[in-house]
Amino acid sequence: MLECCDPINASHSQRLIMNLTLVVLVPFLGAALTGWVSRYGRLRSAWMAGAVTALALACLLPSLPVPFTGEPLIQRLPWMPGLGLDLVFRLDGLGLLFAMMILGIGLLVIIYARYYLDADDCMGRFYAYLLLFMGSMLGIVLAENLILLLMFWELTSLSSFLLISYWRHRQDARQGARMALTVTGLGGLALLGGFLLLGEIAGSYELSVILASGEAIRAHPLYSPMLVLVLLGAFTKSAQFPFHFWLPRAMAAPTPVSAYLHSATMVKAGIFLLARLFPALSGTPLWSVLVMSAGLATLLIGAWIALFKHDLKGLLAYSTVSHLGLITLLFGIGTPLAAVAGVFHIINHATFKASLFMAAGIIDHECGTRDMRRINGLWHFMPYTATLAMVASASMAGVPLFNGFLSKEMFFAEAANFFDLSTWSWVLPVTVVIASALAVAYSLRFIHDVFFNGEPHDLQRTPHEPPHWMKVPVEILVAICLLVGIFPGFTVEPLLAVAADSVLQCNSPAHDLAIWHGFNSAFAMSVIALLGGLLIYAARRPLFMIAARHEGLIDAGVLFGRTQQAVIGAARAVTTAFDTGSLQRLVALLLIGALGLGAVGLLGVSAPLTGTATLVPADGISLIVALGLGAGAIATTVLHRQRFTALIVVGVLGLLIALIFAKFSAPDLALTQLSVEVVTIVLLLLALYFLPQHTPAESSRVRRVRDLGLAAIAGLGTTALAWGILTRPGATISGYFLDNSVPGGGGSNVVNVILVDFRGFDTLGEITVLALAGLGIYAMLKGLRLPGMTLDPSGRPWNWDLHPTIMAALTRLLLPLALLVSAFIFLRGHNQPGGGFIAGLITAVALIMQYLTNGVEWTHRRLHGNMHPVIASGLLVGTLTGMASFVFGHPFLTSTFSHVHWPLVGDFELASAMAFDLGVYLVVVGSTLLILIHLGLMRSAATQERD
Amino acid sequence: MHFDAANLLPILPEIAVLLTAAIVLVVDLYIDERHREVIHGLTLIGLVVAIALTGVVGGGATELVFAGNVVRDPLADLLKGAILVVSLLVFIYARPWLRDRGMLVGEFYMLGLFSILGMLVMVAANSFVTVYLGLELLALSLYALVAFDRDSSRGAEAAMKYFVLGALGSGMLLYGISMVYGATGSVEFGAVAEALATQGMENKVLVFGLVFMVIGIGFKFGAVPFHMWLPDVYEGAPTPVVLLLGSAPKIAAFGLAIRLLVDGLGSLQADWQGMLLILAVLSIGLGNVVAIAQRNIKRMLAYSTISHVGFIFLGLLAGTEQGYAAAMFYTITYAVMATGAFGILIILSRKGFDAERIEDLKGLNERDSWYAAMMALVMFSMAGVPPLVGFMGKLLVLEAVVRIGFVWLAVVAVIFSIIGAFYYLRVVRYIYFDKPEEDAPALASSGGVRVAMSLNGLALLALGVFPATLLALCQSVFGA
Repeated sequence: MLECCDPINASHSQRLIMNLTLVVLVPFLGAALTGWVSRYGRLRSAWMAGAVTALALACLLPSLPVPFTGEPLIQRLPWMPGLGLDLVFRLDGLGLLFAMMILGIGLLVIIYARYYLDADDCMGRFYAYLLLFMGSMLGIVLAENLILLLMFWELTSLSSFLLISYWRHRQDARQGARMALTVTGLGGLALLGGFLLLGEIAGSYELSVILASGEAIRAHPLYSPMLVLVLLGAFTKSAQFPFHFWLPRAMAAPTPVSAYLHSATMVKAGIFLLARLFPALSGTPLWSVLVMSAGLATLLIGAWIALFKHDLKGLLAYSTVSHLGLITLLFGIGTPLAAVAGVFHIINHATFKASLFMAAGIIDHECGTRDMRRINGLWHFMPYTATLAMVASASMAGVPLFNGFLSKEMFFAEAANFFDLSTWSWVLPVTVVIASALAVAYSLRFIHDVFFNGEPHDLQRTPHEPPHWMKVPVEILVAICLLVGIFPGFTVEPLLAVAADSVLQCNSPAHDLAIWHGFNSAFAMSVIALLGGLLIYAARRPLFMIAARHEGLIDAGVLFGRTQQAVIGAARAVTTAFDTGSLQRLVALLLIGALGLGAVGLLGVSAPLTGTATLVPADGISLIVALGLGAGAIATTVLHRQRFTALIVVGVLGLLIALIFAKFSAPDLALTQLSVEVVTIVLLLLALYFLPQHTPAESSRVRRVRDLGLAAIAGLGTTALAWGILTRPGATISGYFLDNSVPGGGGSNVVNVILVDFRGFDTLGEITVLALAGLGIYAMLKGLRLPGMTLDPSGRPWNWDLHPTIMAALTRLLLPLALLVSAFIFLRGHNQPGGGFIAGLITAVALIMQYLTNGVEWTHRRLHGNMHPVIASGLLVGTLTGMASFVFGHPFLTSTFSHVHWPLVGDFELASAMAFDLGVYLVVVGSTLLILIHLGLMRSAATQERD
Repeated sequence: MHFDAANLLPILPEIAVLLTAAIVLVVDLYIDERHREVIHGLTLIGLVVAIALTGVVGGGATELVFAGNVVRDPLADLLKGAILVVSLLVFIYARPWLRDRGMLVGEFYMLGLFSILGMLVMVAANSFVTVYLGLELLALSLYALVAFDRDSSRGAEAAMKYFVLGALGSGMLLYGISMVYGATGSVEFGAVAEALATQGMENKVLVFGLVFMVIGIGFKFGAVPFHMWLPDVYEGAPTPVVLLLGSAPKIAAFGLAIRLLVDGLGSLQADWQGMLLILAVLSIGLGNVVAIAQRNIKRMLAYSTISHVGFIFLGLLAGTEQGYAAAMFYTITYAVMATGAFGILIILSRKGFDAERIEDLKGLNERDSWYAAMMALVMFSMAGVPPLVGFMGKLLVLEAVVRIGFVWLAVVAVIFSIIGAFYYLRVVRYIYFDKPEEDAPALASSGGVRVAMSLNGLALLALGVFPATLLALCQSVFGA
């Protein structure tokens, strides 16, 4: 900040590099400062805001002459070098014009608001928001980069939201602010889309590039969508029909805000964008149709509604809408002269509308109401203010000698010229004249109704002239209106010329800002409009009645509300359709999604599903087992409501799988499968004890059919996949293990060698997990009391005769035999099918049989029930075996082996892995027993409870 | 087994997290009730150490360790850092909630740390097996955490749903992995990519492998139509758990997607592009539309997540370095946003009351204007309003999409984010325009939470105004 204001210390070039950035930054920093200063007195914040604005203006000053040289001033700071995005600011004629307006009128509004705001309004907040907005606006008009422009664009939406909702306690203020934010914010997103496309088309987001490549942009196939998106952004911001509805509702803002946002700045942003991109986008039929029709409709509708508004600010709001339509229309016409007229009207509208809003604010402030049916005859109370307001509204009406007349005259000339171009072209000049007559009428109404036309009705206070400094901003603006209106050549011409040059990107065409151009079509239209306006005003009573009847007919705000409701309704409908929270439905949707994507994969690629592998003919056993598996699976599904029966069928499935393993020469796996199956079924039986034995059928037939279909398709899909995989030749890794099993691990049972040697580390991890699972289940079940079933589904009591004698006797006999088998399997494990894991399972099964048939108590009298030492010693043995290899300087779990000759048994191979296998054995026995015993004990605990 | 201790160096951050988890586990056993908060301190210290270690071992050339199963490259470094920082915030926000309800126990921290470890493993994986290992560690910890409030039947229901669907999702991913393994004969990304480069898409099994892998990724991200678990889990789980579940895991899921799709199946880009496209459009559309109808803010945020996932997918499907970098930028910044949003919900909750309805945010501005401003920042950022970072993310992603010629896609995305902006603004409306409930007490929050939330909220602004550093980091990961 200091750097720019102290030109002595800073070198020229440095100052120039920074000052545009500072112009934009100063209001942002100032906003925070202003908010802070207001703690020390509300008026200080006003002074601070004024100082900040002046400072920003001062920062702009050094660059002031640059645009007049014809070359834009571009200043660049690195920002996102990775993306080629820089903080680039650009000062050319158009930017300069807008920056001056934003800062100049901003300063006036700050002075005005100082007197406008009530003592209980928080001034610091107001000025902070205002400065935020000012900074955002400056950002828009000075940005060189479209993305940067867009960011400031959205910031104006946000800060205007804050300003409009400044009186938070008022419902209409909140609603108006929300609507303004929604409409302009959404427009901003559309603009984002448009800018992305534009950047893609032009190859750069920099305006210098874009403005220079207009031809290429217009010829690009993406031109149409891009234009529509950009125009959506511009039209929403500038309140063009049909997006105009937010502007009148935003009038709930404090009047200084309206004077600032809705005359010179916010709504002009959209116009600014049209002007900015004019050289790049204009000149196509699509541009003309879209921009002209929006402008024309806005011009007419705004003027029509404005006439019938009883609210003073409402009238001004709709007249603003109408004038914005006028400017849009000018840019839509697209001739260079029309563009010049558009720029000129931007200036004029800003001056007279800002002063009118301020005057309206004074009236509101003094009378306590803005209803024109109540405030009449104010001329007697505030003649000075009345004079100012009358000058401004004469300018709005387009009366000669005021600035509005000049631009309107140019506008008429352009409309008249347009008449020659095509068959429907008469619509334009006629509509324009009608709208202008309406403008004259509402301006007249503003003057006549408010300042004359009888006496004021039931006002709360007696109005009088406002404080002097409240009038000063109005005076200045009105003076500009007059000066520009009478001496256009001396006052506005240079600025207008340079601004028009930058809009057109070439020297603007010769234009004459004289008041008198002779008797031409434009003059004739002016006269018709003025007379017509007088006539309309004279005949206003019947018109008012018509208008009252049709009020709200073309209110897009209602449409907006309806659209909102429709979207919410659609959202609710989708929610109720999909978001029911039912797990079944969720799973169904998941499956459908997966099947859908699978179908895409299936149909998307033409490659065959079946691979190249030669197929082995099916043999009888495989076929029978496969059929058995299918039948078993179906039976399980059918019987799933009878849980115990279904469980038995599942057991059959497990046995069939064991058979398959045996058939494909994997006896190890078959043995494991068999033992695991037994243990699992016992486990499930114990768990099922606590569940009802019978599940009621809850799902409807439709649902069952749907699920059946889904399951069938999913099954077919997986079958197809399995087919695809199995018919492809695949390289297996078994070769390596087969080759290295004997030389590397000293055992010919590859599975076992893998478990205890090649993948010993994994196995150690696995048995640890198994041990932990056992301990975890033990910890959870310990002390848990669950009420078990006392009756079966048919109402018969459970049989408590637990231990059938014959079976008990038989299993007791079986135990030593089973243990022997277990030991045998364990010892031969390294070379023949078997091993610690299977042996452990067999032991566990044998012991569990004892529990099952003889009862826990009987068994515990003979076998200690504490399995923790067993598990712990198993883990210890496993780990120590691994560690032992450290002693010999080998890495963890390196195994060794040698052969010993036992009498009777013969040659026996002793591998260190054997000890490891013992660990596995112990952990398996301990964990399995621990889990199953405690599941069983839980029932007996429940039984004791019952007793 | 040949093992070189140098293997451990690149995974020092993971080791730090694991050690912290182990220490928490043991300390929790022996500490008495009054000093439970020590666990919190230990966890934070552990995470800070892990962040520091990420910085120390990070940078430099790509290193492959554990026989090519684990990788440390710029992607892993950056994602690990982001995950750890976000997780740090999560634990800071969670503490008051847990303490008020007597749930400040070792299990939460231990499970949380394990889930973080899972995420770190995921992003550092260089083989299908490692990636799956990390994924399951994360998922299992989260299943348990969702049911963490054992007295809450909604929590149990949510956990049940999450578990069933999550198991299906993981199963499909595993299915896909096994098919790709079957087709290529390897589980290591480099080898798979090599095999694919020669094989192309002539192999139907490979196509299905890809399909299932995309389903798995879609599920873990929560992309439509594999999003079903998200709303229910978000609604049912305790808020701190949602905070954990809704933030950092997205970064990990991004790592998962990049590892699987780009590192592993990069040469099938043309094929997965179409699938991601479907998921992205559905997610952006459904997420934004359905979010409007939600009255529960956690559910609303769930659907908002879904729509953001759509945007992340947009960046991914672009298949260019620019697109990946944009998606990464989006993911990381989204995680920061989500942390902020759920953090505010936790701050709003108190003993016996959980902020769940959107109405619970009513008049937040009058109750605490600073938190209100932070929440407004989060909401505006999620809506994509400049100059907040949400806008930058959207901009980058859209630009990447436009760059590959998918203009219509960008337009669709923009239209739906316009719809989406609506529900974020509604939250802001409640914060600023409505009066608080009569009985709403003043917000009590510790200084630490306030500092963290301020950093969190302001980061959204700072990253939005100065995105260059993070963006450059993201771009450097993909060598653009």
